Amino acid sequence: MAKDLMFQDEIKDSVKEAYGSISAGAGQAVASKLYSEQELAELPPGAVDWALGVGNPVRFAFLEAGEVVLDIGSGAGIDTILAARRVGPEGRAIGLDIVPEMSERARAHATQAGVAERTEFIEGEMERIPLPDASVDVAISNGVLNLSARKSRALAEILRVLRPGGRISLADLTVEGELPPEIANDQSAWAG
Amino acid sequence: MAGALAERVFAEKLGRAGFVDVWVGGHRPTSIDEASLYPLFTDDVIRLMRRTIPKERHDHVATAVIVKARKPEAR
Repeated sequence: MAKDLMFQDEIKDSVKEAYGSISAGAGQAVASKLYSEQELAELPPGAVDWALGVGNPVRFAFLEAGEVVLDIGSGAGIDTILAARRVGPEGRAIGLDIVPEMSERARAHATQAGVAERTEFIEGEMERIPLPDASVDVAISNGVLNLSARKSRALAEILRVLRPGGRISLADLTVEGELPPEIANDQSAWAG
Repeated sequence: MAGALAERVFAEKLGRAGFVDVWVGGHRPTSIDEASLYPLFTDDVIRLMRRTIPKERHDHVATAVIVKARKPEAR
């Protein structure tokens, strides 16, 4: 019987545990659907192997040189690295993730990609972003907001850290109609 | 996926949070087969999805979208 996951902290802990326990991402099969050949060529193979997103938020963000980008739920770093390339040496890309193992992988991948000096990976929750007010030009995320049991709180936090006029480009899943209750309450269906 | 919102609800939440110029695009149907490529979906939940979701929805159980919006300029 599916465990009842109606409590917000329980959902958060389940998602964190699920992402912390996997030993690989969805890999090239998924990455090739989301990123162009040119974009994939800009990434270390290890980062591509850890693809877990659902879209390509960097492509739609129209980043400019010098901008500060926050990648919420940065995982192993694919979108943070692409963002770091777009904002150039004067810009900065900050990856935020709740799973320490993911941040470690992302740091290694950023180093392999040659963008370590313009990236930073921090641990924290999207519902409590450890950054000052109005410190970010653009916030991106990829398949992450649906993981939050406190979406309004997460959106309020994103708004807080954006500078006035700042923008978001979020790739995420939407579902029309209700999922069967067996799935809605299943731990791995929340994490996936 | 279990926490995904309907597109209209997503856009409304952004507006209520204070974002403006909300835009939703880049729609891409997501199938159960595609979900099965992600290690976060266990074999059990993939089987559960195939069993409990009507067959005609198996090729489109969710939609991947891009959502863009902007924080208003300071007055």
